[in-house]
Amino acid sequence: MARGGATRARDRFYALCVAPSLAVLAVITLAPAIYLLVTSFTPLDLTRPETAWNFARPFENYRQMPADSRLMNSLWVQAKLSFWTVTLQLLIGFGFALLLNMRSRFLEALRTVFLIPMVLPPIVVAIIWKVLYTPDISPLHWGTTLLGFTVPALITHPDWALTAIIIADTWQWFPFTMLMTLAALQMMPQEMVDAAKVDGASAWQMTWHVTLPFLKGVLLVAGLFRLIDSIKAFPLIFILTEGGPGSVTEVTNYYSFLQAFNFSFLGYSSAITVVMLAATVLMSWAIIRLVGWGQHGD
Amino acid sequence: MSEPRTGRRHLLLGASALGLGALAAPPVLGQARPFAGQTLNGAAFQSTFFEYLRAFFPEFEERTGAKLNFNTQAFPVYNQRTDLELSTRGSALDVINVTFIYSGRWIGAGWLTNLSEFVNDRNRTDPAWDAADFVSGAQSAMQDARGNTYGFAWEAGAMLMAASRADLIDQAGKAMPTTFDELIAACDAVQGKENMSAFVADQLHHWNWIPYLMGHGGKVFRDPPGNLTPELATPQAIRAAGWYAELLSKYGPSGVLSFSDDQAMRTQIAGRANFRTQAITWLVPLAKHADSTVKNTVRYALMPAGPQGNFPGSNSHGLGIPVGSRRKELAWEFIKWALSKEMLNRIVETRGYPSVCRRSVITGEAFKQAMTLNGQDVASLYLQVLELGGRSGYMKYRTVPVFPQVGDTINRGIARIATRQQDAQASMRQAQQDAIQVLQRAGVTLDAN
Repeated sequence: MARGGATRARDRFYALCVAPSLAVLAVITLAPAIYLLVTSFTPLDLTRPETAWNFARPFENYRQMPADSRLMNSLWVQAKLSFWTVTLQLLIGFGFALLLNMRSRFLEALRTVFLIPMVLPPIVVAIIWKVLYTPDISPLHWGTTLLGFTVPALITHPDWALTAIIIADTWQWFPFTMLMTLAALQMMPQEMVDAAKVDGASAWQMTWHVTLPFLKGVLLVAGLFRLIDSIKAFPLIFILTEGGPGSVTEVTNYYSFLQAFNFSFLGYSSAITVVMLAATVLMSWAIIRLVGWGQHGD
Repeated sequence: MSEPRTGRRHLLLGASALGLGALAAPPVLGQARPFAGQTLNGAAFQSTFFEYLRAFFPEFEERTGAKLNFNTQAFPVYNQRTDLELSTRGSALDVINVTFIYSGRWIGAGWLTNLSEFVNDRNRTDPAWDAADFVSGAQSAMQDARGNTYGFAWEAGAMLMAASRADLIDQAGKAMPTTFDELIAACDAVQGKENMSAFVADQLHHWNWIPYLMGHGGKVFRDPPGNLTPELATPQAIRAAGWYAELLSKYGPSGVLSFSDDQAMRTQIAGRANFRTQAITWLVPLAKHADSTVKNTVRYALMPAGPQGNFPGSNSHGLGIPVGSRRKELAWEFIKWALSKEMLNRIVETRGYPSVCRRSVITGEAFKQAMTLNGQDVASLYLQVLELGGRSGYMKYRTVPVFPQVGDTINRGIARIATRQQDAQASMRQAQQDAIQVLQRAGVTLDAN
């Protein structure tokens, strides 16, 4: 009885300790999300104040979405961008982690060098690539011209503009997956490696049957982080292409930004953002269900 | 000798006289440094005008006692930030640039202070400041339908044509083009000569393309500002879009579709591109910029005319006061000071600023001297364009509140054609459809057909 009372008192104490943090979290996370949701049910247009709390047709923004060809195109662009950036970052990050998973001073120094793109401010990364992709000032274009062939201006070429963004994003973020994979590799039990060797596993078999299953959980987490981040892609697109040429690189996030801050359609932009948020949550949940979570230790 | 007696009655009489005097005199003029301790927050987009004006800021601070905190940003960044700030009716800014394409939107939404009240109050404005001296064409974008003024223009952009290497045109046996056909013929003649592209433009097609659209007989809106039904898929618009996209893709330098204003200007200054049609502000540096390699070969002309006439773009940017500002009196002092005849004349004389909007300055000797470029009288070309735009009112399309949205669809439509993603017809039909969607979302009533 006395023990039960002590437990309850302890729980109350813990709850009291956590309450301020939860309250702050609610204010800074939940309140804006609720406001976003509420706004999405209005035609809020900053140039027309009377639209602010107009709930006469609450689902009008959502009704308009399927007929908005630019929005539909932006979803497809988003899917391509996310697929290629996440895939490339996982593959390159995993590959580099395997190569760098050795004890050597040189490799340790190299690891630090590889981390530089990831710690640069996104806007700096965007400017670096803007310089590289602009023909009249680019060392890349200067070099290829010296070699006798001409590379088109990638960011204004409809076949290359999205690829240019994918290359820049992959360059910036593959160190993240490399870092996470490398950390997991260094915690891999030596017995597993030794047992595989005793069984006569080749290097390829070792990677496929031992290392990859062990890293599955880490790769999933890294992939999820990168997927969510790819949906938030903004600085590279803003600086390099502004969504163009035409709408070739206009992802949903950027389109939503244009609607809100260039055109003042905050209601419509909120509705797009709500759908994006719901899609991201659903997609993350589906991936976790599909691939499994925390199975790597088994 | 007896000392004059200073009794209570004398003191009261003196104090009353002082009080009455203070009431009768203009309140601002009655103080030596009336704004001491205040800070004026201003913002505008980057321009040579504010670069030049900044050098004189200490004089304003000395005269008023106020501190100036004036920031400039890149054009799109400035517009986005200010649009958002104005929409909240915030007090972070006291004086702002009233951007041409946003002027209708900002004035219509009631986000700017009515400056007519300041001008008409002689306690606030000395009639000698002469508000009527501003060129009416430049001021039209700063006024509402009732004639109230919400900004005073510091820049009038008049679109001209400049050839950075006119010597190459001469060598090819061509003259400066006066029609669209002649422009294409001249581009053909000089393309690739001395590794130069024949033509360059920046990526703001909704500014650069419109004179070509109108020259082909097209329009952006059916009858602005009353009828904003878009007209982007008419045969004339499709023909003009295809023509202009070809001009860019065939004669423009690699990557021209991503060029900013400054980048296009530097391409000309470096002698890597020949023709450009753009506002005078971006063309004068070809003759004056320290880095220019084409000072002795540049030549200016009016925009070439299309089959349906000549419609060079003209615009203006002004200084205004946000409705939420808490320092409106100080902001007005700043506007009066920055745009006074004296200050504008000083900027023209010392820096050769080419885009002033006061008639008395434009017709003055200093301006004519400053605008004689490579031996050519560019001042008269500038006035011709301003008069063209003011007379027929063809620039009305640009100051409607929804132009930013429609302008974006135009930019993307032209880019799609120039990059061969779609032909002119398909692309402009899509632009028309996109424009209808955004206009309906903005609550604009459109014609049924």
